[in-house]
Amino acid sequence: MSSDFETYEQDFGTLTAEITNKIGRIPKLAAEEKTQLVLNVDKQLEEVRELLEQMDLEVREIPIQSRGMFNSRLKSYKQEMEKLEKDFKRSRIAYSDEVRNELLREDGGSSETQRAHLLDNTESLERSSRRLDAGYQIAVETEQVGQEILTNLATDREKIQRSRDRLRETDANLGKSSRILTGMLRRIIQNRILVFILGAIILLTIVLALYFNLRGH
Amino acid sequence: MDNSGKEKEAMALMAEAEKKVKSSQSFLGSLFGGSSKMEDACDMYARAANMFKMAKNWSAAGNAFSQAALLHLQMQSKHDAATNYIDAGNAFKKSDPQEAINCLNRAIEIYTDMGRFTIAAKHHVTIAEIYETELVDIDKAIAHYEQAADYYKGEESTSSANKCLLKVATYAAQLEQYPKAIEIYEQVATHAMDSNLLKYSAKDYFFKAALCHFCVDMLNAKLALQKYEEMFPAFSDSRECKLVKKLLDAFEEQNVDAFTDAVKEYDTISRLDQWLTTMLLRIKKTIQEDESDLR
Repeated sequence: MSSDFETYEQDFGTLTAEITNKIGRIPKLAAEEKTQLVLNVDKQLEEVRELLEQMDLEVREIPIQSRGMFNSRLKSYKQEMEKLEKDFKRSRIAYSDEVRNELLREDGGSSETQRAHLLDNTESLERSSRRLDAGYQIAVETEQVGQEILTNLATDREKIQRSRDRLRETDANLGKSSRILTGMLRRIIQNRILVFILGAIILLTIVLALYFNLRGH
Repeated sequence: MDNSGKEKEAMALMAEAEKKVKSSQSFLGSLFGGSSKMEDACDMYARAANMFKMAKNWSAAGNAFSQAALLHLQMQSKHDAATNYIDAGNAFKKSDPQEAINCLNRAIEIYTDMGRFTIAAKHHVTIAEIYETELVDIDKAIAHYEQAADYYKGEESTSSANKCLLKVATYAAQLEQYPKAIEIYEQVATHAMDSNLLKYSAKDYFFKAALCHFCVDMLNAKLALQKYEEMFPAFSDSRECKLVKKLLDAFEEQNVDAFTDAVKEYDTISRLDQWLTTMLLRIKKTIQEDESDLR
């Protein structure tokens, strides 16, 4: 059992050494070789992971007393693998001095990638200018809509002012008419009182006339 | 909805109303409360007209409303008469535009008699719209719009007046009555410059005025453009002003392509509407004529 474990350990050691080597080389390479190497390293990392799983199973079969040592070794291997993965990820986006020298010396060896870069740049410039144009169009349309709204607002404002003035006028007129009506009411009452008084006087005169007539007889 | 039933009801009401009117005109009727009978008749005509409207029989509704209006006139209640004429006009709008215009005209007479010019102006605008859309008689439409603008100015509602005047100017320019159009655009633009709310539309009016000048004569356009820039400095920054300058240059060089290019460039940013395209086309044709003349 433990011999299996040792074989696994040896395999692990060789694989991790290879991976570290390749990770070191990745940043310095050009595009196609880089992708190939990246795939390679991916595969090897997969193998490493499988190895670790198998080591795990082995450890479980070992009796509990001696398990402790193997467990700690397993843990350290796992940590090493995680570190390798992190290094791998970083290397894919890493810069290195080689690349910088290449750029500044303008080897011309990677003119293809330069051309591709330039085309990309031109395309993104065109895209942005198209978007800017569209944005400008929208801004102009917005301005026109704003103009219309403002004209409408101006008309409405005049209408509201006129209505307010007319309302005040109407209010004054209503006040006047209510005063006139109260005046009319008063006059009606006055007239009625006058009529009653006159009627009473006439009745009185008739009564007096009859009375004097009868007394005269 | 029981439309045919409503129609029958409405016709019955009309017949009743007519009877009432006739009876009130006889000697006895006018002695004993003839006026209340006429009021009842008016009421009935109005109800009949509403029922015709429900049945969507617009001509009959219009007729009923006109009858009601005539009765009101006889009873000397001008307001009611005018309102009924307006209702009649609205009903006729959907079936017989000419009759609608007649009713509206009569209503306008009553309103101007009473001194209510704002409402009269509003109805002039309605008539003008009918001429614009249904009867397509642009001259009469212009006349009514002008009348409406005058009334609005008399009532100090400059915005409404400007609205009508702008329509007059658009049609006048289309009919090649350029001096009138130019005058209106300049007037409206100067007025707009002063108002906070309207100054953003001022450049549009100056642009249109400049185009009208252009259609008449190029020198006019140049002088006018300078005058506008003096009056309204913000105008010189606008895209419209730059377009006119480019067009002037193209015209001087008699270069049709430069003209078309400038117009196309302007079009990509903001679409040219119908009126603008017509005017620009006329200007372009004058260039091409000049070219062929020289050859």
